[in-house]
Amino acid sequence: MQEEIFVTGAGVISAIGLGRQATLAALREGRDGIAPVRYLKTSRVEFPVGEVKFSNEEMCRLLGVPEAGVTTRTSLMGMIAAREALEQARLPGDGGERVALISGTTVGGMDKSEQYYLDFLENDSRNEYISAHDCGACTEMIADYFGLFSMVETISTACSSAANAIMTGALLLRAGRADVVVAGGSECITKFHLNGFNTLMILDREPCRPFDAGRAGLNLGEGAAYLVLESGASARRRGVVPLCRLSGYANASDAFHQTASSPGGDGAYLSMTGALATAGLAPGEIGYINAHGTGTVNNDLSEGLAIQRVFGERVPPVSSTKAFTGHATSAAGGVEAVISILALRHGFIPPNLRFSTPMPELSFAPAAGGSAAPRHVLSNSFGFGGNDTSLIFSKTD
Amino acid sequence: MDELILNLKREIIEVLNLEEVKPEEIEDDAPLFGEGLGLDSIDALELIVLMEKNYGIKLSDPAQGRELFKSIRVMATYIRDNRKK
Amino acid sequence: MGLVIRKYSYINDRVASVDGRAIPVPAGEEKFLTALYRARRVDYPRFFKMDALSKLGFLASELIFEGDASRFTPRDHVAILCFNRSSSLESDAAYQATIRHGEEYFPSPSLFVYTLPNIVTAEIAIRNRLHGETAFYVLERFDPRALVGRVGEAFQDAATRAVLVAWVESFRDSREVFMMLVEKNDTIFDLPFSVESIVELLNRGRNG
Repeated sequence: MQEEIFVTGAGVISAIGLGRQATLAALREGRDGIAPVRYLKTSRVEFPVGEVKFSNEEMCRLLGVPEAGVTTRTSLMGMIAAREALEQARLPGDGGERVALISGTTVGGMDKSEQYYLDFLENDSRNEYISAHDCGACTEMIADYFGLFSMVETISTACSSAANAIMTGALLLRAGRADVVVAGGSECITKFHLNGFNTLMILDREPCRPFDAGRAGLNLGEGAAYLVLESGASARRRGVVPLCRLSGYANASDAFHQTASSPGGDGAYLSMTGALATAGLAPGEIGYINAHGTGTVNNDLSEGLAIQRVFGERVPPVSSTKAFTGHATSAAGGVEAVISILALRHGFIPPNLRFSTPMPELSFAPAAGGSAAPRHVLSNSFGFGGNDTSLIFSKTD
Repeated sequence: MDELILNLKREIIEVLNLEEVKPEEIEDDAPLFGEGLGLDSIDALELIVLMEKNYGIKLSDPAQGRELFKSIRVMATYIRDNRKK
Repeated sequence: MGLVIRKYSYINDRVASVDGRAIPVPAGEEKFLTALYRARRVDYPRFFKMDALSKLGFLASELIFEGDASRFTPRDHVAILCFNRSSSLESDAAYQATIRHGEEYFPSPSLFVYTLPNIVTAEIAIRNRLHGETAFYVLERFDPRALVGRVGEAFQDAATRAVLVAWVESFRDSREVFMMLVEKNDTIFDLPFSVESIVELLNRGRNG
């Protein structure tokens, strides 16, 4: 029996609000955060997005960091979410713990690079903004704000980055390389990937409709979320009450295509069954699935079929909360981990917004929401490169 | 038309990095996708960019691309009838 | 039972080697990586669509797996873990150049794909049909301890029986890949997977 991993803190910022309370209220009231572009400076205004409803200046004031600095939007959101998680976990404590920060980000500081871009292919000057671009640098900025971490790592696996950071956190604890891990991810919307997703022709011009027969793509979102992970012994020693357990995790490769998911969802099937195996759970024990559910034709079909392969005739309530938040790319797995924990602790199923027509290929329809008492929640996060991760959060009692 | 077809083949080879394919090896009526050149969905999206960049033809639906990229001849005929540059 | 390095490869802009033996690459007009691809008679045209980061990782894995009869059988017990310092910065810049100008505004989907550094792990997984764990870490600097730590953790799950681990960097003048196939074994004749081994074998690779 491997040592159990407990979640003792959670922090989040996304299109539906700053903090756990605002997030919970929005989920329960069915209030989404998808809206026309307001903060990003772009001409691509035809695509609705899930922006965090704060300017960089406002976030600087919230954090007490200088407004004129080089701090990227990705870092600012990361600091806000990590601060909430650390406060809940009562960190920094009175010392002694080796605390690691594992953060997922891919586009990193691209917002500043876009603002101050110098062509570093032709020109050798690599000014402070360009070095902020480096996705490792965004994690360093978050770490420096707290000055708490003995180890800092950035994981970059596209849209499963934050989920992989959380999985890596559990592995670190089990290997004894850290006593406490702050794990999650942060990513702001940039012109860079708004255009990139547009060239892939997977952006919906309307608010997205995950798992609907008429779905037409995703809405880009942004945000940050972190969990504090530690062993039971560590939580007891520090006198903090766990929110839940991180009972299962697995990552698998779809090994099919650079961006598209395989028709049968091979990687997704392996990540879900792998997570169930680490948790020692049968499929029937899962009470809610927070799906990756981007709203693209390809993902929702592939993921839906994989869910059917794992759960057979008895598919638990499934919803994609990306209809609330948009697709926060590298941060999505973190945001959805926090949402999964809220569902677990407050006994409800977040609704799959804007669903009207079932997909003919699937035997199940997404959940309409309502009260429930899931004991185990499974959260899927899949990234380009066929990088598929599933996490399972379980009640402590 | 023959010149357009030849140019189009050269452009496709360049933009899709078909390093080991020569223009004369691409048959005018053979399917571009599926067998043969081993093209995939990203290549189809890149061809959509090529249509806009080189010929001023804007496609907004990938399904439209699938129709047009049936063969070089289908593609060239569409370009001839719809090009804006 | 310890972890051992079953096979390793090294490639930069000038030299390539596998298990410490130099790979002869004829000098010519083609770029070194393309010449290496041809020298090993790899038949995989997708190679030409890859960015330099993926080409490096792909070729390093070819040197490790070439001649392995079972290589194309789907396997879910082989993990692929890559590390570097500059993420996908080189491709980021190339893609960014396609969206800079208002009048020449043609963002390229194929360039965008390679702005995700973990695509290198996907290229290796697709080629060899590997369904195990894949991950890409960005470190502040080369740190063999991070590689040793993370590979050890990958072996904690019941499924993983081998890990392909690489330091793969491609930005400006630093272009290199050092890849190792790590397995569990207990014979004393094997090369232990350790910080010391990594440093020694990497230096040997760099010195050609």
